[in-house]
Amino acid sequence: MKIRNETDFWSGVMFIAFGLFFGAFATRYDFGTAQVMGPAYFPTVLGGLLALVGVLVALAGLGRTGEGGKLERFHFVELAWVLGAVVIYAAILHWAGLLVSMLALIVISSFASHEFRWKEAIILSIVMAVITYLVFIIGLKLTIPVLPAFLKN
Amino acid sequence: MELLGNLAIGFGTALTPQNLFYSFAGCLIGTLIGVLPGVGPVATLAMLLPTTYALEPTSALIMLAGIYYGAQYGGSTTAILVNLPGESSSVVTCLDGYQMARQGRAGAALGTAAIGSFIAGTFATVLVAAFAPPLTELAFKFGPAEYVSLMLLGLIGAVVLASGSLVKAIGMIVLGLLLGLVGTDVNSGVSRFSFGIPELTDGIGFVAVAMGVFGFAEIIANVEKKGQREVLANNVGSVMPTVKEMKEAAPAVARGTLLGSILGILPGGGALLASFAAYAVEKKLAGPNSDPPFGKGNIRGVAGPESANNAGAQTSFIPMLTLGIPPNAVMALMIGAMTIHNIQPGPQVMTSNPTLFWGLIASMWIGNLMLVILNLPLIGLWIQLLKVPYRLLYPAILAFCCIGVYSINNTTFDVLMTVFFGALGYLFYKLRCEPAPLILGFILGPMMEENLRRAMLLSRGDPTTFVTSPLSLGLLLAALAVLGIATLPAIKSKRQKTFQEAD
Repeated sequence: MKIRNETDFWSGVMFIAFGLFFGAFATRYDFGTAQVMGPAYFPTVLGGLLALVGVLVALAGLGRTGEGGKLERFHFVELAWVLGAVVIYAAILHWAGLLVSMLALIVISSFASHEFRWKEAIILSIVMAVITYLVFIIGLKLTIPVLPAFLKN
Repeated sequence: MELLGNLAIGFGTALTPQNLFYSFAGCLIGTLIGVLPGVGPVATLAMLLPTTYALEPTSALIMLAGIYYGAQYGGSTTAILVNLPGESSSVVTCLDGYQMARQGRAGAALGTAAIGSFIAGTFATVLVAAFAPPLTELAFKFGPAEYVSLMLLGLIGAVVLASGSLVKAIGMIVLGLLLGLVGTDVNSGVSRFSFGIPELTDGIGFVAVAMGVFGFAEIIANVEKKGQREVLANNVGSVMPTVKEMKEAAPAVARGTLLGSILGILPGGGALLASFAAYAVEKKLAGPNSDPPFGKGNIRGVAGPESANNAGAQTSFIPMLTLGIPPNAVMALMIGAMTIHNIQPGPQVMTSNPTLFWGLIASMWIGNLMLVILNLPLIGLWIQLLKVPYRLLYPAILAFCCIGVYSINNTTFDVLMTVFFGALGYLFYKLRCEPAPLILGFILGPMMEENLRRAMLLSRGDPTTFVTSPLSLGLLLAALAVLGIATLPAIKSKRQKTFQEAD
């Protein structure tokens, strides 16, 4: 067996995985009957359908010589910088406040770029902290903690 | 003359200084964000949703509609100047628009797009106003079985219009439906797929999903690409098309408007299908001997699709406003926005909330007028924005996304959810699975289950209920026909060709 169309094949595998996961997890709930459907009814049917679709897609990936089916490289480093920055932002927002977490978000996420420059990232982070403060706190009056928790008593 | 009376209510609402301001603000910031490469209308709307929380519902929806038109137009600007479509509906605009820009006619392309969009918007607004009341009447005749069939038709429509493989699009829809089921089941009170996480019992926030798969994933995909964007901004030229160009563009605008209006109403339709179809029609009509050839800067290749996508964007409000069913991802977001403001979308909105309903329709036209007034003089500003390097843009986009998601429920959990869907969206991107059908499924999941349960309860478990009601049967046959047509070998290859041309 040779995988002819990698993106199709792996999409199929993903669908099968999700379908089985939802289908299997739904067995914990009451299935019910067609007339009175329980909480498991619809998810089980959908999960089965998704797994079936997955099988079809994966088989198509094995049999067809589709163009552009080559799986591109995953850039985990860029992914980690961007998403990691957001995770850190979410983690510290409540005690560090908007301004500090904004600085962290901008500087860390900037690392994902191939053209990262310290000076630029720091200037941008300060500018964005000021802009978001003006727009969201002053302008739209959203309730987000602004200053670090230890600074206000 | 009921129409005029209704429009009078609408303009009375939309023309208050306050709502005019929100419409203007929506168009302006919508364009501002929409111009940014890689940020389409869905991501723009998701990002700017929190800016409307504090407003009263009517103003909020007017502003969101403005943001949508702005984002749409901003996307076209980027398509013409940078050859980078911010969204799939401006993909075809790239083809001839960018070529015009290379020939120093960017101004004319942008001007034609703006004027064509305005004409299309005007026509489509009248159409929405005329068609909404009768469709609402029809919607009241819908029982649960009819709703299920209608949603099925909508989902199949979305599958056919997705630009990749049909089966993959079906997979994405089913996955979306499943994700939509996460949270407390309304009938039994059982908390499904929440894995003991208390926040998940309320379900997954749709903004987190939309922003993750459209916003975050897009950012990562853009960051990993090396190389520079080329902004053709040094020689924009006059924004007024020449007389010859106008003569060529006018019939294309008319055809695009008509085509777009019809395609926008169809479930699964909207701006994307409209622009693709209009481009294909113009190319066919022009024949191989057109001068300049299509793909080499023919103004009709800009005028047709741009008018069509605006008309389609407008008329796609019809199923959303009358039936409460979103025909595409953007309308799914609008429905989400309505729910946040405690308005249950559906046929009752028109009668229970006439000022909101007609105000929104009137504001569509005002929004389109503002786009013309706003964009032609501000083109220089958008060009400056396009020159900002991406390494400075994406952290800023990320910042707005984070605050936006956080402020919906004031919880950092939603931000983490967005991260999860960002990673998932990146996987979809690598596997070439289009995310738009997923969003649609996500919104329709709970609605579909609810109506399916009700229909089956009413029929005492007899599934023939879906074919014994003539209305439901008709919708199912339509769905079958759409699917059948899409799988016909001749159409299939044509469909692939249409989408490939755009790549």
